[in-house]
Amino acid sequence: MKKIEEVLKDWEPVIGLEVHCELTKLETKMFCGCKLEFGAAPNTHTCPVCLGLPGALPVPNKAAIESIVLAGLATNCDIEKHTMFYRKGYMYPDMAKNFQTTQGPKAFCMRGHLDLDVDEKNINERYGVAELAPGETFENVTRTEDGYTAKVGITRIHMEEDAGKMIHVGGAEGRIEGATHSLVDYNRAGTPLIELVTEPDLRSPEEARLFMEKLRQIFLALNISDCSMEEGSIRADGNISLRRRGTDQLGTKTELKNINSFKSLHDGLLYEICRQAEVLEEGGVIYQETRHWDASKKRTIVMRTKETADDYRMFPDPDLAPYDLSDEFIERVRAKLPELPDQKVKRFQETWSLSAYDARHLVEHRVTANFFEACMETADAKLAKPLANLIINDLAAMANDGLDLSASPLSPARAVELVGLLASDAISSKQGKQVLAAVLDEDKDPAQIVEEKGMKQVSDTGALEAVIDKVLADNPDKVAAYKGGKTGLLGFFVGQCMKATRGQGNPKLINQMLAQKLNG
Amino acid sequence: MEFGTMDIAAIRSGLAAKEFSAREVAEQSLARIDAVDGTVNAFLEVTPEAALAKADEVDAAIAAGAFDELGPLAGVPVAFKDNMNLAGTHTTCASHMLENYVSPYTATCVQRAIDAGALPLGKLNMDEFAFGSTTESSAFGTTKNPWDTSRVPGGSSGGSAAAVAAGMATVTLGSDTGGSIRQPGSFCGVVAVKPTYGVVSRYGVVAFGSSLDQVGPFARSVRDAALALNAISGRDERDCTSQDVTIDFTRGLDAGVAGMKIGIVPEFMDAAGLTSEVKYAIEGAAEKLREMGAEIVEVELPHVRAAISAYYVIAPCEAFSNLSRFDSVRYGFCDPSHKSLAGQYEASRAKGFGPEARRRIMLGSYLLSAGVYDKYYYPAQQVRTLITQDYERAYETVDCILAPVAPQTAFAFGQISDPATMYATDLYTISINIAGNGGMSVPVGLGEDSQMPVGAQLIAPAFHDMNMLRVAAALEEAYGTARVAPDFADVKAGA
Repeated sequence: MKKIEEVLKDWEPVIGLEVHCELTKLETKMFCGCKLEFGAAPNTHTCPVCLGLPGALPVPNKAAIESIVLAGLATNCDIEKHTMFYRKGYMYPDMAKNFQTTQGPKAFCMRGHLDLDVDEKNINERYGVAELAPGETFENVTRTEDGYTAKVGITRIHMEEDAGKMIHVGGAEGRIEGATHSLVDYNRAGTPLIELVTEPDLRSPEEARLFMEKLRQIFLALNISDCSMEEGSIRADGNISLRRRGTDQLGTKTELKNINSFKSLHDGLLYEICRQAEVLEEGGVIYQETRHWDASKKRTIVMRTKETADDYRMFPDPDLAPYDLSDEFIERVRAKLPELPDQKVKRFQETWSLSAYDARHLVEHRVTANFFEACMETADAKLAKPLANLIINDLAAMANDGLDLSASPLSPARAVELVGLLASDAISSKQGKQVLAAVLDEDKDPAQIVEEKGMKQVSDTGALEAVIDKVLADNPDKVAAYKGGKTGLLGFFVGQCMKATRGQGNPKLINQMLAQKLNG
Repeated sequence: MEFGTMDIAAIRSGLAAKEFSAREVAEQSLARIDAVDGTVNAFLEVTPEAALAKADEVDAAIAAGAFDELGPLAGVPVAFKDNMNLAGTHTTCASHMLENYVSPYTATCVQRAIDAGALPLGKLNMDEFAFGSTTESSAFGTTKNPWDTSRVPGGSSGGSAAAVAAGMATVTLGSDTGGSIRQPGSFCGVVAVKPTYGVVSRYGVVAFGSSLDQVGPFARSVRDAALALNAISGRDERDCTSQDVTIDFTRGLDAGVAGMKIGIVPEFMDAAGLTSEVKYAIEGAAEKLREMGAEIVEVELPHVRAAISAYYVIAPCEAFSNLSRFDSVRYGFCDPSHKSLAGQYEASRAKGFGPEARRRIMLGSYLLSAGVYDKYYYPAQQVRTLITQDYERAYETVDCILAPVAPQTAFAFGQISDPATMYATDLYTISINIAGNGGMSVPVGLGEDSQMPVGAQLIAPAFHDMNMLRVAAALEEAYGTARVAPDFADVKAGA
């Protein structure tokens, strides 16, 4: 298969997402009073309504409606005041009534959008954007100083109920193939679920990943879901097709399912773009099918081919009267909106003069944003930038690998202390990394570690000058080569000086002094 | 003492005066069922333990001097259509599909009746899943009309009507989706009320057509029906289509009809198929009302003829969806001889449902399918709006409408076998479900030719059900209170 860069020259990927999010923060299910609890003993949170017993009737959970209105307001949607619940026929044992209660053509939230800020390093995944000048706009994209912004349309967000969980006993990994019998756990049946559908406005796997990241940040800020991909409380399906550059007609799409991480979403879409391009270039045909991303084998495989459109026999649910939202209700919900990620980015930029990039990446995760804010409660404003660097470059990766920033030995106070040591040139950046590791290992204050390990940075120009002079004197041929134009050798001299100071020389200072001596 | 033939007031005063105990009422009622129901077959399940336990509870309250705190149905023998759940008893809907289904919970209307002091005698026969007008589609045998056991009791709440007509219960509950309370009420000569949609909670009543279904009482007097309605009506948090109704349905029963405007609908009175004896009886009722001081005026319902067509789109669509839960997986009839899920679904549903249920499921499945939905379901909803507006316009000039309930009196078993002909007999009742109004049947004597009971239908504006009850009370005054069917009037329990 061709590399993505090659594929993108000839083909334009068109991507849309369908995101399901369980409203796990609610107390009770969508249409009955059963408790929402992940991991309870099977079928312990059930009642006549969610078991679909004869005669049971649904009653909408008002708190769930409030949650979806919050989600709509936070994603710039129009809130529809008059909507209806619909029944979607679907015969399977995990759906006790054999229909899912969902919404019809009009959902609670319609016509929204999110703006995605894509970093410079990913710019080539969006064909042609690199050539734009900052501020220039093409289609739904605006070039920025450090990348681009893509405006992604949200078609709708509707309210529905989740199905129960099937367990196929005897099949490999709980699959139905080879199973002797199946069990159903209806604890999850009737869990309030919102489904967000985007317009086909995404053009790269990175944009899709960013969209999910941003949506997750928003839903977490709204406190409507724990958005756990592992527990399946947020799930994304990707619809993807290719079309030749310069053409408008959409190609046949495939649907990518079984995505359990944002990385899988990115990698699965990337694979699917390359696979579809290969099929099309070999004169093949893309079938409308559902494909499954196999992360271990790094490929997609066919799950189900759609030969005919499903007929869900949708019609308005006569048990649920048309649902009217009053202006007063909508305003009451609007008043509950917390600070949203975009607003937080703006505030970080304005309060601490951070770059858009820094602010964006701090806000990308709630833990890093909170940690930064905790640091800034005591830190001097001029430490904002180095703190942002520490958090984005070091701590974010550690947090990704499982470090719990809210409870690690690196308290905000210690982080401020560490950054202070760096900013005052008391230690080098390399020493800084050692101190950070030691703080986490030994649970001590950075100053104490520096003291114990004798890590003070040598910034005494007299002492450094002696070291530099010795290094230059020991390497006359290299000095000659440098003066002959091989200026790249500066790094070699710096390295030798650092070695001579056992890593404690101030590299910035050494750099400056060396340049002066060699060029002077 | 024949409790089955007593009205609520008589039972209440007897209990208050300690002339008899609630336990005696329960025991005698059960004995009468034993004696009579072999012939009538109104009951699918009799619940002696529940009836006696409730009776003892009532007696204990009376003994404790708390008579005044007892509910309006204290000590009243009551029975329920078998699509209403009563925890611990079967809810079969007269279908093989649910033959062995025992409900773990109780319907709101049933619970309210019991909370009001009613003695629950058991569950009553019906057309399978309420699909029918004769109770002939019950999987457990037909119910006989107590006035002539060679004739149908009407349906689908045939058991509910027959139990009251044969004096086995003072009050029964039925459900009405297109006439299923009113038509058997007319055929069996009892008072039968389908209140406005939303007056009685549907929670726990197995749904047929959710936007059309409504629960209501059968009784031998208008006052008893109104008392029962008082007990079971009102907002239920478990049914979001139920309304906060706080009407006293007995209010105005004695007010008479002087000064009331009562409508007669030419589209109904001139419809083809209306038998002369029913037409004559309804015209007679109009005359009686005029004599009592009501003004009889003609009102137009121009779209009412389209009601049957709209109904047979909307009702099967809703029924198809409502019945999809009967899939043999969690409960209900299961044919286990199939290895695949689809095979199990198909075989279990083919064998578990009777022909009329299968017909309506097929019809609804077709009508909701892609491409067909827009041609039928949507226009049917438009017709629904037009019919609702017809009634609203009519009620600008009249307080109540007088109409036939059915084109004929009770007919012989097997007489109507063609479904389309059967559906057409619902002409007078169906539009009321479509519009959501209240409608009821009150006996207005016997048909001249058949000598079978004729019911007059009274139709009231939405949530003005007391209008029709008031007119019904006046007709009751004129025609006499409904009687136990003659052949069963003198049957002595245990005889």
